[in-house]
Amino acid sequence: MRNKNKVAAMLLAGGQGSRLKAMTRDIAKPAVPFGGKYRIIDFALSNATNSDIRDIGILTQYKPYYLHEHIGIGSSWDYDRNYGGLRILSPYSTEAGGRWYEGTANAIYENIDYLDKIGPEYVLILSGDHIYKMDYNKLLSYHKQMGSDVTIAVMEVPWEEASRFGIINIDEENKIVEFDEKPEVPKNNLASMGIYMFNWPTLRAALISDSKDENSKHDFGMNILPGLLNNGHPMYVWKFDGYWKDVGTVKSYWEANLDLLDPNNSLNVYDKSWRIYTRGKNLPPHYVSNNAIVKSALVNEACEIYGNVENSVLFSSVIIEEGAKVYNSVLLPNSIVRKNAVVYNSVILDGIVIEEDEVIGKENDEHVYLISDQGINVE
Amino acid sequence: MEKCIGIINSGINAGTYGTLCETRPDYMLPYGGRYRIIDFSLSTMTNHNISNVVVYGGKHIRSTLDHLGIGQPWELNRRRNGLVIFPPVYDSDLVQPTNIATYYKTLPFFEYSNLQKIYMDDPMTIIKMQMDEAYEKFIEEDLDVLLFYKKQIDTEGKYLNARKMTVDNDGKLLNIGLNLGTQDEFNLFLSKFFIKKDVFIKLVKEAVEKANALTLRQAILNNKDKLKIDIYHIDGHVEVIRDLSSYYDANMNLLNKDIYHEVFFDKNLIYTKSKDEPSTLYKDYSRVNNSLIANGCIIEGDVENSILFRGVKIGKGTIVRNSIIIQKTEIGEDSVVVNVISDKYGVIDDGVTVVGHPKQPYVIRKGQRIRKVEE
Repeated sequence: MRNKNKVAAMLLAGGQGSRLKAMTRDIAKPAVPFGGKYRIIDFALSNATNSDIRDIGILTQYKPYYLHEHIGIGSSWDYDRNYGGLRILSPYSTEAGGRWYEGTANAIYENIDYLDKIGPEYVLILSGDHIYKMDYNKLLSYHKQMGSDVTIAVMEVPWEEASRFGIINIDEENKIVEFDEKPEVPKNNLASMGIYMFNWPTLRAALISDSKDENSKHDFGMNILPGLLNNGHPMYVWKFDGYWKDVGTVKSYWEANLDLLDPNNSLNVYDKSWRIYTRGKNLPPHYVSNNAIVKSALVNEACEIYGNVENSVLFSSVIIEEGAKVYNSVLLPNSIVRKNAVVYNSVILDGIVIEEDEVIGKENDEHVYLISDQGINVE
Repeated sequence: MEKCIGIINSGINAGTYGTLCETRPDYMLPYGGRYRIIDFSLSTMTNHNISNVVVYGGKHIRSTLDHLGIGQPWELNRRRNGLVIFPPVYDSDLVQPTNIATYYKTLPFFEYSNLQKIYMDDPMTIIKMQMDEAYEKFIEEDLDVLLFYKKQIDTEGKYLNARKMTVDNDGKLLNIGLNLGTQDEFNLFLSKFFIKKDVFIKLVKEAVEKANALTLRQAILNNKDKLKIDIYHIDGHVEVIRDLSSYYDANMNLLNKDIYHEVFFDKNLIYTKSKDEPSTLYKDYSRVNNSLIANGCIIEGDVENSILFRGVKIGKGTIVRNSIIIQKTEIGEDSVVVNVISDKYGVIDDGVTVVGHPKQPYVIRKGQRIRKVEE
């Protein structure tokens, strides 16, 4: 079974996510906490585990400490194997000096040796920035069925937003005819999800020739994919219609977290057949006191709630003191809301304390407040 | 404490827990919303760098093996030493399967081990142990045995029939018997002690030869004049779990904020097997008060003075009070559940009323479904 359809996944996790402001000041975007107990990268990693992908390389660059600590040897995702399994691939130096990864394609190019050693038939490029559940086997079987050299996962986005995405134009057989990067007048609404299935020989050759091109930005979307299309490689799209989110801004981060409060949200992290795995913290159950009111909320281990919590997401070890009221907010681990404070529409970062009687936001507020050790940021 | 072997063995009085111990040994009873009682013993060992831990399996070993695995949650999956699980002993030469008999049958393990000290732990007595100084005393004074106890005030008879230690005026051990509640303050023996390995081996062999002891405690007391024994006081909240009602109370005591903090956070954390459960979801109609809730629950009803383990579902309009709802139990809509212990995978249908007595909670069997009675 093992050598059939050998796929190696390469997960790009070096992103900074600068529009998340203080959230990514100390950590890479894939390490940003999400959904009460996860970090963003857990979704792509768990998809890989649940899709039975044995070998996965994780490319890190921007502030990787928390990411490395979180991933460890990959045991939370069953990637602690006797051979193969998970490898963290950081930029390295050679006789020619040290180099940072200069673009998404360059990051893979610099690790060609690693991929050669695995000897895969297919290489799956993933991003650690997205929240979604996907069975990569479905993408692979479609890729094989179409005789494709590159298959790109796409999804339909609202027409009015289409000009924010990389749009892909296709013929009636889903064959790619044109790439349209953030078009002003989109011809359709199929956006690339940044998930690519390559035949390894095709990708390998493309990476090597791209590395010699001095004008290239060494980016998949800008250089590698259009280049392969121009050279006549058969390329197809695979349409995905599940939950998918790229939390680019504080507001979209806040929205995506609160989305999970809808019991019918399509991400459904309660689905036991497709668990989302993460590094456990080993904390006790949470406590809800006699006078507390908790409604429409996600609550995690070691929280202590003595006040009111409504329509909010609480990560682990959050304390809501007596008389405090929290509405429509996302509270990261170890944050504390002191007595009689009132909080609306906020994202409160790790370990931040909201002092007694403090009021943030108001009812029916349009804004979202990011509260960090640098104060309050309004969006 | 790297030079110490930890032993976990417990009494075999499974019959006193209703149906809860039909398929599991007593130390595998679920406790505190996401743990098993044995987790407290294992975590004590881990937190004191005891990496060679011996667990005696007993008759129902399946759940133990499933829970412990290779010991990874407690960092007992080691190249050197690590977790050892012994299956139960059946031997016609020995009259009955006593603790001494099980030790005797596994003596080769201890004889071959290069570790010279043993920490013996009865998991059914739960207390947050801090024993670095005790271990130093045990080593420095070259003691054969060091027994742990706690001066316990008990005016309500909460600790009746627990082990009582009597000492003379110099604080020297006289004997260990049962607490019959004759004093408001007594020395509660915690059923935990350090013992030198060669002393342990000698006592076990003698007890088998002379048939004069069924437990190691008896063997130590038989030889108390020949051995260098001392006692050591440990402070903290103690639970002695011996039957259904003390098991129920021990869980319910965790709803006390101080006890919750002491048991779960003071000194060190408690480790257990991860189940990768997502956050707990409170829906619009949920009302939860004074309760401990583990992850992975979905709550739509009222929960009061209760403990919900991982992955429990409580339907709309349902009232759960003073109850312990164990892992993956599903309670439907408009039901009333009071003073109940529902074992794993229990199901309570819509519109069902199940009420136990505070002193004698009603136990729902593992996997049992309680249906509505059509009148």
